Amino acid sequence: MFSRRDFLATTLRSSTLLALAPAVPGFLAQTARAAKAEKDSRILVVIQLDGGNDGINTVVPFADEGYAKYRKALRLSTERLIKINDRVGLHASLGDAAKLLESGRLAIVQGVGYPNPSRSHFQSMAIWQSARFDPEEHRSFGWLGRAFDDGAKIAAGETTSLLIGSGPPPLALRGRRAVASAMERTEDFALDSKIDPRRTFSGVTPSDDLTAFVQRSMLDAYSTSEHLTHLGRTSAGQANYPSNGLATRLQLISQLLKIGFGARVFYTVHGGFDTHSTQLPRHSELLFQVSSSLRAFLDDLAAAGLAERVLVLAFSEFGRRVAENSSQGTDHGTAGPVFLAGAGLRAGLVGDTPNLLDLQDGDLKWGIDFRRIYATILEEWLGLPTRTALAGTFERLPLFTG
Amino acid sequence: MTETPSAVRAAKPWAPYVPSEEAPWNLRRVVHLHRRAGFAATWSEIQRDLADGPKASIDRILAGKACSQGVPEGFSKTAALLGDAAAASGDPARLKAWWIYRMLFGPDPLGERLALMWHNHFATSNLKVENLDAMRRQNEGFRELARAPFGELLNRTVHDPALLIWLDAPANRKGHPNENLARELMELFTLGIGPFTEDDVKESAQALTGWTLAEDQFTEIAARHDSGEKTILGRKGRWKGDDVVRMLLEHPATAERLAMRICELLMSEGVVSSTEQHALAQELRDNDLNIGRGVETVLRSEAFFAGRNLGRRVLGPVEFVIGAARALELFEPPSSTLVLAEWAGRLGQDLFYPPNVGGWPAGRAWLTTRSLIGRANYAAALVEGTRVGRPTALDALGLALKHGQGSDLDPVTGFYLQLILGIEPSPAWQKRLTAALGSTNGNKAEAARRMVALVMAMPEAQVN
Repeated sequence: MFSRRDFLATTLRSSTLLALAPAVPGFLAQTARAAKAEKDSRILVVIQLDGGNDGINTVVPFADEGYAKYRKALRLSTERLIKINDRVGLHASLGDAAKLLESGRLAIVQGVGYPNPSRSHFQSMAIWQSARFDPEEHRSFGWLGRAFDDGAKIAAGETTSLLIGSGPPPLALRGRRAVASAMERTEDFALDSKIDPRRTFSGVTPSDDLTAFVQRSMLDAYSTSEHLTHLGRTSAGQANYPSNGLATRLQLISQLLKIGFGARVFYTVHGGFDTHSTQLPRHSELLFQVSSSLRAFLDDLAAAGLAERVLVLAFSEFGRRVAENSSQGTDHGTAGPVFLAGAGLRAGLVGDTPNLLDLQDGDLKWGIDFRRIYATILEEWLGLPTRTALAGTFERLPLFTG
Repeated sequence: MTETPSAVRAAKPWAPYVPSEEAPWNLRRVVHLHRRAGFAATWSEIQRDLADGPKASIDRILAGKACSQGVPEGFSKTAALLGDAAAASGDPARLKAWWIYRMLFGPDPLGERLALMWHNHFATSNLKVENLDAMRRQNEGFRELARAPFGELLNRTVHDPALLIWLDAPANRKGHPNENLARELMELFTLGIGPFTEDDVKESAQALTGWTLAEDQFTEIAARHDSGEKTILGRKGRWKGDDVVRMLLEHPATAERLAMRICELLMSEGVVSSTEQHALAQELRDNDLNIGRGVETVLRSEAFFAGRNLGRRVLGPVEFVIGAARALELFEPPSSTLVLAEWAGRLGQDLFYPPNVGGWPAGRAWLTTRSLIGRANYAAALVEGTRVGRPTALDALGLALKHGQGSDLDPVTGFYLQLILGIEPSPAWQKRLTAALGSTNGNKAEAARRMVALVMAMPEAQVN
């Protein structure tokens, strides 16, 4: 298997620009440092499943009598499910997720929620993103932003987290100091003109520090750009991504990781889960998109020797009501499953499967507070403190093998 | 590089500039003055100021009359209409475009640069405020009081809806403290880190309880105010919000921070000694923290025109975007202000959306991979035209001809280096530039255009 050091060596050798550069370009130097570091070189990729994913039809408790009782039009036939054990099966569209489970790269935390659940998309999402319940705290900072403020040495202007998508970075990433930015396309890094200011350099190292800095940054930037363009041209053949928006964004994240882009958290949103009517075909398509994109992404990272450094977290603001509605859809509910994918996980189901016959106001009772997942990720994966991020301490979950 | 002996500088910091053999009033210094105290001058403005000398040139800048070109008739009226329409539209892109319009076409580039400085100082983002009218009102305050005694600006800004929403003032009530406003008031708007403790923050937050908004207007609700005794910066009393503001304005650290801001705006990285900063702070204190006075002192100083202060400050994105459009006289037909605002955002400075309470990480942090690529792309787009919303390409040969240059590539290149950088190139440099241009199949107009983009993308053009 290709090791991280091999990867670096190849990249360095193949970088024709190295000859031009006065020193190792910063983006490679960053990667080289990262290879030595431990927790602070690890990456978290967050996939926000927007709209409220129907957890019951995702991780299906087929043996629970309540399933047949509450799900009629929307009931998935037991034969088609991908069984995890004798009570729980995955939706048939989650074939790739099942393969990740088999190869030890997927953990599913069941029944995740929080006390006094909100059924408003906006409010519940703000709670998940800020890890705070007071609406007055829903506009300032998020759990990851606060964690970086608190625990990471951040150089001025260094991007700690990056939204891949349109619009401003989400609340989850915003901190008092931590810098979150957004990026939508690789074109942001592509030069669209033939002019090459590197050719105006005199070849003599400038005597003043600022000019030397600008030259170095420019060499860096242009070689990064060329690298990315090259990756964009070649990676299509190497990795097999399905064609949907999420896959495109994950592929972009993979490209950024391959060139050693410095962000610790990449965030992306996959929408459409608000399935109030004719849910079956739409939900099936969405789950297929998530599962196939996720597997392509992890396989791509593994081939690049980056698998060990990346953890994926996929969550939704709430699950849906247990009983289906009269439009062959489901309305806003409470607890749902959270997915974690990557190397180093204790694969399989975590937590108790929600009981469909023991409900509260027609909704699932939650079993695991989402902040326990955050606490585990912050402390055990990213090496960041949880106190400010989560406004308290939470018992960690046995998610990782290490 | 010319150096004033440090002993002389220490004895008389901010001594007035008198042109000399080592610091002559030349093209380089005129370009420098306009880049630092504005966005950039056109060739005619540069020639005018070269002839008129430093005093008249600086007088004009301070008086908000630096631009002789590009300012349309009825500018103020048009700008006000655009601002009203933008705020009413609910579309943030239009409010950004409004400000770009003011910067590109307004008669007072120094005023706009100062407004931008205050926008960064009180870094308020519409991401949270979500109220364009409030954002615009705040911005008008930055402009109207840009040169005023700082107390007037601070008082107006902290009693203005945008900042109160931004820093959760309505959530700060008796028995339910929210320290956001108190902390930033001390750490970012006045004292800076150091002179205050966490207890000062807590007690100031108590003093600020009761400040809130009603129908988008500041109001003080007595029932929400914690009227108990507080100790703030060592002083005991039943302090209210306005007392906190007053105490912070009186504190010497505030003048230091303001002096730092002025130096950040006008001076190169690392050239201002602590003696000079103290001296500027002292002058501000002696003059009621009058910002215009401090700015004037720096602009008229020997230190400002010293060789060590030339070309050693990283150009911010908005300065880069507007400066090039102004220098190249791209007024008629104009570029789309909407598109220029987008470019500024792509280069890292999204107006009305600073990244956090600390504002934009200035200086070297502006030069990221994405922004450097973006700057080269902007340069290419600007000369090409359509990608900045102009129907026609830049007539680079025509502009050089109009200002008395030949149409051969060498003099044209020389012209643009002087216009944009204020530098006459050495023959070797000129040769490298021509080589970097690549082939243009003998198309002179295209070669000249491409040369302009190349000059803009060079390392030397990322600083000023």
